[in-house]
Amino acid sequence: MPGRTRPIENFAQAAAKCSAEGAVYGKCISANYQNVSKDMCAREFMVLKDCYLKAAGKKA
Amino acid sequence: MHAALCIHQQLRMILRSYRTLARAPSSITPPSTCPPKRRRYAIQAGGAPIAEVFSARTKYIHKQRAAANIPQSRQVDYLRDEIAARLCDRLLDINRHFPRVLDFGANACNVARAFARPSPDLNDETGTKVTEPIGKRIGEIVCTETSPSLLYRDEHEPFNSEMAITREVLQNAEYLPYEPDSFDLVLSSQSLHWINDLPSVLTQINTCLKPDAPFLAAMSGGDTLYELRGSLQLAEQDRLGGIGTHISPLADVRDVGNLLSRAGFKLLTVDVDDIVVDYPDIFALMSDLQAMGEANAALRREKGGISRDVLLAAEGIYREMYGELGEDGGVRLPATFRTVYMIGWKEGGSTPRALERGTGEANLVDVLGGGGRIG
Repeated sequence: MPGRTRPIENFAQAAAKCSAEGAVYGKCISANYQNVSKDMCAREFMVLKDCYLKAAGKKA
Repeated sequence: MHAALCIHQQLRMILRSYRTLARAPSSITPPSTCPPKRRRYAIQAGGAPIAEVFSARTKYIHKQRAAANIPQSRQVDYLRDEIAARLCDRLLDINRHFPRVLDFGANACNVARAFARPSPDLNDETGTKVTEPIGKRIGEIVCTETSPSLLYRDEHEPFNSEMAITREVLQNAEYLPYEPDSFDLVLSSQSLHWINDLPSVLTQINTCLKPDAPFLAAMSGGDTLYELRGSLQLAEQDRLGGIGTHISPLADVRDVGNLLSRAGFKLLTVDVDDIVVDYPDIFALMSDLQAMGEANAALRREKGGISRDVLLAAEGIYREMYGELGEDGGVRLPATFRTVYMIGWKEGGSTPRALERGTGEANLVDVLGGGGRIG
């Protein structure tokens, strides 16, 4: 399918722009990965998601 | 029904005897309705109704869709080709001619392709290199697969002219429509991990083999994709507060030995190896799996797939916990594919057999030196 980018590729590109935020989130989880509870890293995730939404929005 | 009742009663008797033993040791006799029976080990009989884990229809759709995009489908054949090649290497040790071979779950006939390539450096007594492909030792290979578009994908590739390949579409992935004692060799590469009733399929394979013929197979098992499994679980735990099924349950090495011997195979050899593939990101890994037709087909999977939040979270966790620094300075995500290779022989003819119990004549104490003597 030439000319059409799959949604997953857009997603991957936008997520790649937020590797710093992703790393902070990943560190938060891996610091306590044997005892993860819901919304344990909600703050870090929201930062990551905001960055992702910004990156994804700019492209469109 | 009656037998089940008897077992139940016996069980209750045993429980009761435990309970009453401390207080009043009364003699307990089984009721006369239950005839005394020899007690056996509990095993699951082959072909009994078993839990269905994977949806055959979903798998069929996955494979059909994946093979519809031919260039992409060929691009992601790296794993299947590598495993097929490693499986065929194990065939080099069996110095035989195989007039009729079955490739059960052939995908895109990757095994036949591996047969056609020149065999790796193999020195015979004279020290010369033998580069004759294994395909020369094979009369006819029957490739079976449920998905026609995957099976016929490489129908016009050069390797098809190297040997006689018969392609057959299976209506049911768990039923082999072949006569007993009709194949000199059965192979299966990277497809047994989607079978629900493995004991039944292995028994059928054993039946359609000729006596003293080998069965060689490779299947994904054990810790395959543990990085992805772990990352998704952690991400879901944090985002949703619970975990779902995303990676199939897989057979472990020790299960495979049991399964083979239960199906009646002899002289078993089971080994594992890991193939670690590096991906730029989690999305590349998941799209490759999808393009292979190896997406999740568990019956109890989430119908909507993985949410974007979880995917974004899983990417961050995978990168942090499993990411490795590549030579170019970028972080690569390794994905482990653990393959279990199994070889089993159908009994019969000149298959070597273990001696009867108690027929040993050498005393092990003499052989071992008596260091760890017991009794």
